[in-house]
Amino acid sequence: MKVSLFITCLCDVMASDVGKDTVEILERFGCEVDFPEAQTCCGQPAYNSGHVTKAKESMKQMIRAFQYSEYVVGPSGSCVAMLHEYAHLFKDDPEFAKPAQELANKSYEITQFLVDVLGIEDVGATFNAKVTYHRSCHMTRLLGVKDAPYRLLNNVKGLEFVELPMCEDCCGFGGTFAVKNSAISEQMVKEKSEHVTETGAEYLIGADMGCMMNIGGRLSRDGKPVEAIHITKVLNSI
Amino acid sequence: MSIQNREAFLNNVASKLGRNRLTEPVERPTYSVQPQWRVFAGQSQDELVNRLEEQCEKIHTVMKRTTLENLNATLTAALEDYNGQSIVAAKDERNEQFGLSSYYASLKEQGKDVHVWDVSKGKENIAIAEKADVGITFSDITLAESGTVTLFNNKGNGRSISLLPQTYIAVIPKSTIVPRMSGAGKHIHEANQEGHDVSSCVSFITGPSNSADIEMNLIVGVHGPVKATYIVVEDM
Amino acid sequence: MGIKIGNAPFKERIQEGISNDFMRGAVSSAQGRMRTGRLTAAEELGDWEDWRVLGEEIRSHTLTNLDYYLQQLSDQVVKRGGKVFFAQTAEEANEYVQNVIKQKNAKKIVKSKSMVTEEIGLNAAIEQAGAEVIETDLGEWILQLDDHDPPSHIVTPALHKNKEQIRDTFAEKKGYDKSSKPEELAAFAREQLREDFLTADVGITGCNFAVAESGAVTLVTNEGNARLATSLPDTQISVMGMERIVPTWEDLDIVVSLLTRAAVGQKLTSYVTAITGTRLEEEVDGPEDYHLVIVDNGRSNILGTEFQSALHCIRCAACINVCPVYRHVGGHSYGSIYPGPIGAVLTPLLDGYDNHKELPYASTLCAACTEACPVRIPLHEHLIRHREIIVEKENKAPASEKLMMEGFAKWGSHPAAYKLSAKMARTALKPWTKDEKITNGPGPLKGWTDVRDFPAPSKQSFRAWFKSREKGGNK
Repeated sequence: MKVSLFITCLCDVMASDVGKDTVEILERFGCEVDFPEAQTCCGQPAYNSGHVTKAKESMKQMIRAFQYSEYVVGPSGSCVAMLHEYAHLFKDDPEFAKPAQELANKSYEITQFLVDVLGIEDVGATFNAKVTYHRSCHMTRLLGVKDAPYRLLNNVKGLEFVELPMCEDCCGFGGTFAVKNSAISEQMVKEKSEHVTETGAEYLIGADMGCMMNIGGRLSRDGKPVEAIHITKVLNSI
Repeated sequence: MSIQNREAFLNNVASKLGRNRLTEPVERPTYSVQPQWRVFAGQSQDELVNRLEEQCEKIHTVMKRTTLENLNATLTAALEDYNGQSIVAAKDERNEQFGLSSYYASLKEQGKDVHVWDVSKGKENIAIAEKADVGITFSDITLAESGTVTLFNNKGNGRSISLLPQTYIAVIPKSTIVPRMSGAGKHIHEANQEGHDVSSCVSFITGPSNSADIEMNLIVGVHGPVKATYIVVEDM
Repeated sequence: MGIKIGNAPFKERIQEGISNDFMRGAVSSAQGRMRTGRLTAAEELGDWEDWRVLGEEIRSHTLTNLDYYLQQLSDQVVKRGGKVFFAQTAEEANEYVQNVIKQKNAKKIVKSKSMVTEEIGLNAAIEQAGAEVIETDLGEWILQLDDHDPPSHIVTPALHKNKEQIRDTFAEKKGYDKSSKPEELAAFAREQLREDFLTADVGITGCNFAVAESGAVTLVTNEGNARLATSLPDTQISVMGMERIVPTWEDLDIVVSLLTRAAVGQKLTSYVTAITGTRLEEEVDGPEDYHLVIVDNGRSNILGTEFQSALHCIRCAACINVCPVYRHVGGHSYGSIYPGPIGAVLTPLLDGYDNHKELPYASTLCAACTEACPVRIPLHEHLIRHREIIVEKENKAPASEKLMMEGFAKWGSHPAAYKLSAKMARTALKPWTKDEKITNGPGPLKGWTDVRDFPAPSKQSFRAWFKSREKGGNK
């Protein structure tokens, strides 16, 4: 199976290990992974801030970059949900309507791809630690991926799982919201990191680096002994 | 003028909707899903009484079961619970059928202050209801799921009876129980289509009044009755 | 009062909200209870998603044919002895009510809770007409006594107040001398207001849903004050937003069932009261003179636009009760009588962007609101559309942001530029980096690092790693 990696700009620049882990996991299950170099950013920062025309320039670049891909898989529910939205955003565009719809149809978040497409729930990983999990809002509510990460984590050996209190709550990231409304964002991430600390977990696992940088950044600021990591790091621990 | 500014107002609405005014009656679509009819579907009348009883616990309402023969005794017990000395009751043709007319007469003989709603007394009815300890009405349609009595208020069943007294007792003929509000909605809708005017006030009453306006603490008993009892009477 | 509350700028309102510890504690626990109540009620009901779909279909059908249903409603109300006034603006609605009050020579008005009358500022208009207006919903009465403090929630308006504050208000304004126990406070309100109900000349209510087929106006309450306001005074006026209507009693069942569950987790509230026109021959209670005022006040401008589904709202506040932003800043921070996600969507539509352009940005777009909405309004999508309009039509984005987004577009559409910046990021941020993290970032990063650390960019970008790997380099 041929899979094109959609790295997401955040992981590309800020957390390249997430990309490496994703590639290795996919390869372990027989996927042939390529990396279309023309990819940039899904456009979400501009789109969600209202700069839709500007966002579309980046989106068109993404549509072109992945036009020949069979599957597009990325380590972020939020960014993949954005790709799905392209179908709607370009539906009246004579040039991009069709490829935008195609991109939406073939794009998956990594845990979703493992569980729903490859049919794998046990990746054979071992992770000896007490962990909790942040279910990112866009991944669960926009992309609709709710169970896949839990199923995969459930089969990781050595992992002690503690449910995060108020796990349905947003962490306060919200892209440019974190900067534009930093006073509100601060209250949200403070509350979230308190909940994380309450669990006594050594690791906070998430499937979206935006949320992980936000909560992890706060945990770090408060000197809390909890490390925020991407789920692919756990799934690639063999 | 009974209706003012309607034409300009509705023309504007239509034009904002991008079309001309609708002149033909609009057909209501068949909605794609109808989950309301699945609630308690197929349950017998006895099962519905059980559902009603379960719900009564949640709405701070006492539910008693009785038979036609024992209705008087059950009412007497309920009145004692509320220390009810003064009573205002609806004038209802079912009063005869359920033996309430003679019951009210006997209460009077025992020295209780009983007033059966009397159109000829006009506003005095309201003043009496305001002073009464207990209001008693029949339920016209009873909703098991929510624990609701539905009253079609009319000249005999004044709105004040179930509203002004400190406590309220609803007599529920078992035959009036339906699974949920959908049954009442359907009944009124169909009656309306057959040309029967709906009553000037339809009251869906679910237990005593309450409020959570102060720090989200539930307070039972605010402007309406502070306590309520339902008496389900075997009539089938 | 009108839709806009307060004059402080957005950032100040937010700060005030955040530093109000009592309010935040109260809101947080209220949200917890209401959210649990809603989820439990939905689970008990079963098929919740089907119910939501049905609710959406009913609301959508009604709004699409709104002129027809409003015509039918008004015909029916008149048939039942009522009078109907269609008000294009708040001023027209207020003037009509003032005229009724003057004609009746009314001195005392009792009112049950209604958001639309808050929106049009009816109370001030009534006082102008020389009458006294008494709010009778417990929460609204508290606010009115406390020098007209604005509501902070559309279902529980005095959510931001604690019982000690309420006791003090009662003591100061009404000579109350008992404890701050909620039961005693409520009993005092019952006793005080009962007298007002009995002596009022006019009762004013809002309208949860009107039923077009029969001309009924339905009021969904728990306290019983709306029943009193519609049973005792001889004159009654109901004021409804023009979209608060359903075709038939069968539809009423669905929207009421959704409302009470989504709002407070009740299967039904204590009272659902449907009033049709005047009292009938020989009836003793209920009004002899009935008026229905149907208010547009900007709503029709939403019809036929991409925001039309915002008019499907049934005012349950489920979106408010799940919103984490609302939890931390409280209702007053929104500067509108409609707070939370629905407020951030509706307020700019009804009152323009000038005073409310920050509201659509007061959300992380987490979509908890959309998920909670019982009639499936895509609230977070509406917020994005608002942002688009603010940026691209109203041209209200800050200059620095526009500049940044221009840069973004170039960066995102030119892979070479993107690749270069990915390569340079670590070096560029080096002066601020210490121990692989940044605690006092420059420029736009400052907003971030003011409240949390920012990691140093990776030593090697992913694309660089992938390329060297393809060439057989390091793994």
